[in-house]
Amino acid sequence: MNPTNENTAPSYTLNCRMAQEAAAIERLCQVVRIRGFRVARMAVETVGDSFDINLTLEGSRPVAMLQSQLEKLHTVAEVAVKQPAEALARHSA
Amino acid sequence: MNGAQHILDAFHRHNIGTVFGYPGGCIMPLYDALVDDVGVEHVLCRHEQACALAADGYARASGKLGVCIATSGPGATNLITGVANAHRDSIPMLVITGQVASGMIGTDAFQETDVLGMTLGIVKHSYLVDDAEELPAIMEEAMTLAQSGRPGPVWIDIPKDILLTEVATPAPGPSRAESTGTPDLSEALAMLREAKRPLLYSGGGVSLANAEDSFRAFANASALPGVVTLKGIGNAGKHNPNDLGMLGMHGSRAANRAVEECDLLFIVGARLDDRATGKLDGFAPNARTIHIDTDAAEINKLRATNVALRGDLDDILAAFTREMEAQPLAIDEWRAQCQTWRTTGGFQAADNEEPLAPITGPAFIRQLSRITPDNAIIACDVGQHQMWVAQHYHFDHPRHHLTSGGLGTMGYGLPAAIGAQFANRESTVINVTGDGSFMMNAQELATIRRYNLPLKLIIMDNQCLGMVRQQQELFYNNRESQIDLDDNPDFVAMARAFDIPSLHIERTDQIRRGIETILAYDGPMLLHVAISREENVWPIVKPGASNKEMIDEPKRTTTAKKEQVA
Repeated sequence: MNPTNENTAPSYTLNCRMAQEAAAIERLCQVVRIRGFRVARMAVETVGDSFDINLTLEGSRPVAMLQSQLEKLHTVAEVAVKQPAEALARHSA
Repeated sequence: MNGAQHILDAFHRHNIGTVFGYPGGCIMPLYDALVDDVGVEHVLCRHEQACALAADGYARASGKLGVCIATSGPGATNLITGVANAHRDSIPMLVITGQVASGMIGTDAFQETDVLGMTLGIVKHSYLVDDAEELPAIMEEAMTLAQSGRPGPVWIDIPKDILLTEVATPAPGPSRAESTGTPDLSEALAMLREAKRPLLYSGGGVSLANAEDSFRAFANASALPGVVTLKGIGNAGKHNPNDLGMLGMHGSRAANRAVEECDLLFIVGARLDDRATGKLDGFAPNARTIHIDTDAAEINKLRATNVALRGDLDDILAAFTREMEAQPLAIDEWRAQCQTWRTTGGFQAADNEEPLAPITGPAFIRQLSRITPDNAIIACDVGQHQMWVAQHYHFDHPRHHLTSGGLGTMGYGLPAAIGAQFANRESTVINVTGDGSFMMNAQELATIRRYNLPLKLIIMDNQCLGMVRQQQELFYNNRESQIDLDDNPDFVAMARAFDIPSLHIERTDQIRRGIETILAYDGPMLLHVAISREENVWPIVKPGASNKEMIDEPKRTTTAKKEQVA
C-alpha cells in the first residue's frame, strides 16, 4: 500500500506515550506506515520509563482507525490525536 | 534455575504439555534443559515452518496455547510464515527463539538475524530479552497476552547467554486479563426487534472467544437466519435449519442473497474481510449493523457500524439469548424467504451416479462428510479443495475445521493436522490437501511416521495449481501461466517411502471404499484422489467485484459430460 499523496492528504498531530522497550519506536512506525500514514515530523522524549512521542502524520484514511490500532499495542499507554485547524477547514469545505 | 529451566518452569505452570520445535546452535541450552524434563513433550518437526503451523493447528483444535521453538537466524526466519498465519487468524501462540549471545548482537554473527525487527508486523507483541532476571516476568506476561482479548502470537527472542544465566528472580503469580464487562444492549435490542429482515453474520471470533455454546444458544433462541465466514463455519452446528452457509467470494448464492436483502446485520466476531464482503460498497447495501467484537480496532474499521458492542462475546451473547427467550423475534416471513433461498441457492453438487465417471471435488467432499464421524477434524490446505471443503463438508463445530483463512498459507494443512492430532489423540484427524499444497510441507510425512500418528491424508490431485488456473481461465482470458504440475511425483510411492500405506482412486465408484479404507486403517494412511484438471469452484465472485455479481457454473451439455467421462 502506498502512503497517501502528501499534497492532498490531511495532516494530524498525534501524541503517544509508550513504554521504553526494544524496538518501541520501530513498532509504532510500522503500524503508522502499514495503516496508510506518512510521518512528516517526529519528536521523541524520554520521560521516566516511557517515551513521549509527538508525530505529525499525513494520510487520507480515517485517523481514528490508526488510533485504535496504536492503542492495541501492548506497550502503548495513551494515544491522543489532534487534527490541525487547516485540515479541519479543508475537510469541511 | 537458569533461563532455559525457567522457560520450562513456565510451561509447567501453564499446563503446556506439548511443544513443537527444531533445535540449533543458539537455542541449545533450552534443548539441554529438555533432556531432564519429562513433563513437556517436544515434537520434532522437519522444518521450522511446520513447527509454527503445527502449533497453530494444536491451538485451533484445542483452544489452548500453541508453542513453537527454533534457533536463531534461519530457524527464526523459517518460523515467520507460520507465525504470520497465526497472526492473521488470531491464534494464541508462544514463539521462542534463541538469539546470538547478547554481546554478539549487531556484529553480523553466525546465524544472527534481527528477529525482533523483522517480525514486528506479524506478532501481537514481541520481546528481546536483555536481562535474565526479567525472563520469568516476560514468560508470564507473554503467555497471558497471547491468550487474552483478541489472541495472537507473542514472540520471545532470547540470547544464548540469557538462557544459560542463573536467574534469582522467582516466577510471578499468574496474571489475569482485564475484564471489559458487558456493554449496554438496549439500543441493539431495539434495533434487532425493529428489523424486518435481520441476519446473523458470524466469524472466527466466536471460537476464539470460546463462545461456541453461547453462540449456538443465541442462534437457536433467536432463530435468526445466519451466514458464516470461512473461519466461522461450524458456529451454528450442522443441523441448524437457519444456517445459509458461507458468504463471499465462494459463498452460497443463498448466503450472498440474504446479505444483499437484509435490513440488519448482526455481526459476531467477524472483521468484514474482503473475501467475505466483496466490493465493500455493494455489501449489505440496505442494512444497518450491530457489531459485536472483543477488538475495538475491528469496529468501524471498514464500515461504520450503527451499534458497537465491545466486550466478552460469551457474556454478550448470553445476555441476548435471555432477551430472545423472553420475547422471540417476529420474523417468520423473512425466515421463510431465507429457507426458500437455502433450498434453491444453497451449496449443491449432485452426486455423480455414473460409477465409472471421474471424481469431482464437490462429490468427493460430500461423501467424505457423510462417512466421517461428527467429531472428525479436517485440516485443509489452500486452494480449490479448501473451498470445496468449506462449501460441501458439514461441520458441527468450528474447531473441527482448520483452515488458513487470513493468510491463505499453502502447506498449512499437513503440519496443522499433526498439531491437531497431538491435541486430540483419539479423534479422527484428516488433512485434505491439493497436490500443490501438499508438496510445500511434504517433509512432515516423516513426523507422522516418527510419532506413528493415525492421521489420514487425502490429496486431491488435479496436477495443477487449480485455483490459479481457474482464475486465469475466468479472468485472464484463459492464459495459463506456471500452473502445470503434471510432473508431480508418484504420491503413492512417496508415502510408501515414509512407510505410510496409501491408496489411489480415480472413479466415482471408488470414493466410498477409498474413504472407508483409510478411516478403518489403524495408523496413518494416504488416499490419492485423481480429479479433473478442468474442475472449477462455483460459484465465484471476481476479486474486487460485488457479491451480487457472483458467477454460477455454466450449464454443461450432456455431450460435454460424456466427454469428461471419456
